[in-house]
Amino acid sequence: MEHGMKERILFAACVLLLASCRKEPDPWSTMERHPWMSGGSQTVFDAGAGAFGHAFPEMGGAALELHGIGDSQFEQTFVSAPAPVNPGLGPAFNSVSCTSCHIGDGRGRPPSASEQPISMLFRLSVPGTDAHGGPVPMPGFGGQLQPRAIFGTQPEAGVTITWTEDQVTLPDGEVVYLRSPQYTFTDPYVPFPPDARWSPRVAPPVFGLGLLEAIPDADLLARTDEGDADGDGISGRVNTVWDMERQRESLGRFGWKAEQPTLLQQSAAAYNEDMGITNPLFPHESTSGQPQYDGLQDDVELTDSVLRAVAFYVRTLAVPARRNTDDPQVLRGEALFSSAKCDRCHVPEQRTAVNVAFPPASNQRILPFTDLLLHDMGQALSDERPSFGADGSEWRTPPLWGIGLTQVVNGHQNFLHDGRARSLLEAVLWHGGEAQHSSYAVRAMTTGERAALLAFLNAL
Amino acid sequence: MNRTPLLLCSLLTLAACKKESNGPTSTGTDGFNTASVLNAFASDVAQDNYEELAQRSASLRDRLVAFSTSLSDGDLSLCKQRWRDTRLSWERSEALLFGPVATENIDPRIDTWPVNFVDLEAQLSGNHDFTAEYVSGLEDALKGFHPIEYLLFGMNGDKSAAQFTARETAYLIALANDLATLTASLDASWDPATSGNYTHTFISAGIGSAEYPTQRAAFEELVNAMAGICDEVANGKMHEVLLAQDPLLEESPFAKNSITDFTNNIRGVENVYLGRYSENGAGLEDFVREHDLQLDNTIKQRIAAAIAALGTITVPFGQAIIDQPVQVQQAVDAINALASTLGGELLPLVQLHVD
Repeated sequence: MEHGMKERILFAACVLLLASCRKEPDPWSTMERHPWMSGGSQTVFDAGAGAFGHAFPEMGGAALELHGIGDSQFEQTFVSAPAPVNPGLGPAFNSVSCTSCHIGDGRGRPPSASEQPISMLFRLSVPGTDAHGGPVPMPGFGGQLQPRAIFGTQPEAGVTITWTEDQVTLPDGEVVYLRSPQYTFTDPYVPFPPDARWSPRVAPPVFGLGLLEAIPDADLLARTDEGDADGDGISGRVNTVWDMERQRESLGRFGWKAEQPTLLQQSAAAYNEDMGITNPLFPHESTSGQPQYDGLQDDVELTDSVLRAVAFYVRTLAVPARRNTDDPQVLRGEALFSSAKCDRCHVPEQRTAVNVAFPPASNQRILPFTDLLLHDMGQALSDERPSFGADGSEWRTPPLWGIGLTQVVNGHQNFLHDGRARSLLEAVLWHGGEAQHSSYAVRAMTTGERAALLAFLNAL
Repeated sequence: MNRTPLLLCSLLTLAACKKESNGPTSTGTDGFNTASVLNAFASDVAQDNYEELAQRSASLRDRLVAFSTSLSDGDLSLCKQRWRDTRLSWERSEALLFGPVATENIDPRIDTWPVNFVDLEAQLSGNHDFTAEYVSGLEDALKGFHPIEYLLFGMNGDKSAAQFTARETAYLIALANDLATLTASLDASWDPATSGNYTHTFISAGIGSAEYPTQRAAFEELVNAMAGICDEVANGKMHEVLLAQDPLLEESPFAKNSITDFTNNIRGVENVYLGRYSENGAGLEDFVREHDLQLDNTIKQRIAAAIAALGTITVPFGQAIIDQPVQVQQAVDAINALASTLGGELLPLVQLHVD
């Protein structure tokens, strides 16, 4: 591909131009420190529907080719076996392709009244822990509810969501309605056990994850404060999970409760649980041991190379640039974000490890606005379902980069793990537990201050 | 999803040199009426394209109803032509894959590939009535263009009227009806008469639009959509199939329509660029000509070159990857060249001149 060469020439030309019209003596350091550069040198300038779907711009040759192969596989629809192309769907499943949940590589949402969940799923378990400290799969259902099925297999259950609204009146008179969900599982193909636990999860955006994966463990551990030794009311701890590939305990980074240690395992688990596609890391059907197991001797259904190409695709999706960073209102919002202590967990800046084996993600100053740690978010957000080290009310700080582009990419503003928030303000107001004080600080803001805070978030 | 490289530094550079913006206006920095391009895109391209798609989908359904009673080869032939006509409108609209078609999940419900043959045969041998509600609730790989194509044309593209069962025609009518319903809702979503319509969202860019805080964002959306479909055609639909040397990976194999599909994707890009569908309004073309005549010329030449290169492939795509690989590769190169110009030259121009 000519991309690599062309970009280098353009880049050089731009740097020259930049140097010619700005006073800064060192354009390289200026560029690196620029507040636009959310993903370091892997930042892209697209604020439209495709904002989350770009390859690392500073990557060419074989790596870009591999990203392209993964991109294509990410979009492939699986169908019932046997089939000439992409066989192996189900027999029970959540979705038929990666992209049907991660639409535009972006964020999922809870279903509307007339829909079944498309880009949202339910983790299931019964009390106890498995051999590695993880949740115990629910008999008959496994670790996840599959509400869809191929012909001849029953969907495991349907889901109905009823919403209850509570009115919140802020000190400045603004009225906000917070809705909370209640889930009813309809027509289960076998009864739910009485001690069933479930946890709703919307599909998180998948860009920038390779940069988060490249943050050194030590940096994350350095921010932990399990006993709140500094007395600021904010603790933060890592989840310790099981790494299937290396067969050992590892630090959890991905997923709403940091239950997955690597993007490879995250991708492999999604193929297996979401689509029923067996792969080298998860060689058994998600229905194995259940009444609806297909018994077909066709596993594994996904090759190692395709799985790794898809993990590489996700690993090399670039981060959209921040916008309006010198706008006075945005700057004011940024200061308020800090004074309300939002930045204690949504840590603005991280640096990726030096990695000579993969220069595109090496030694990048990035602005993800996360510490990747678990925090108690309060009882109102609890799912009452422990997972490895995370208890019901603990959630991993999600990155905020690109969050202001959710509307244009995904056509909605549903935030938090279950998509209950319908705006950024609602999401902020749901923060409890360790973040309760920050939430109160936002409530106490003047109308103008709150507008500035939201302008800042929308410019991320 | 888009591998077209974005110029991360160009914007920085330009912004560094540029004067502060005075907020949204109906004109760009140089007096050109940028709002007219957005207005014309919404009314002359998006609305017209989706209206045509909805009308043709309904017409396909009506023609299938007629065929189900006559079961004549003449009516079957008309149905096949209606499918091709509807497909043309859809493929052209793939140059504007943003807004409701993406966010309302319409694309996968009408254009999922591959077909789930096992489940489709199971549906045909079952006895569930193909009501609108039932078909609407079916999996995506059991509805939309490709299952219709498979049932209408047959595995080898030579199905005759005598081969149709009553169950097949009933399923076909229900599928076409579902397609008509979904495309009608897509049409409505851009109709200015619909509340919350996307035309309003798009043309109010920079003046209160929830999606597009600036006109530049809306212009970038257009250019990225054009470059995105070029990348998808050249690399996803063509090059990977060529590399795999696997005719099974062809997208519209039953109607042997893939080359026509690809050509209509590029025609769609041309429509967006010219700001025309049935009528010709202000387009990106006019904006580019205001600033860079040479670039206008390059873009038009590259569109023409891409279409011409596709035209040199004289056999169905599944066969061409084996028999005419050079022509296929040349078409891939020509479309990639167009994508490069759109992403590498048109995008920076838009970013320079639109606030």
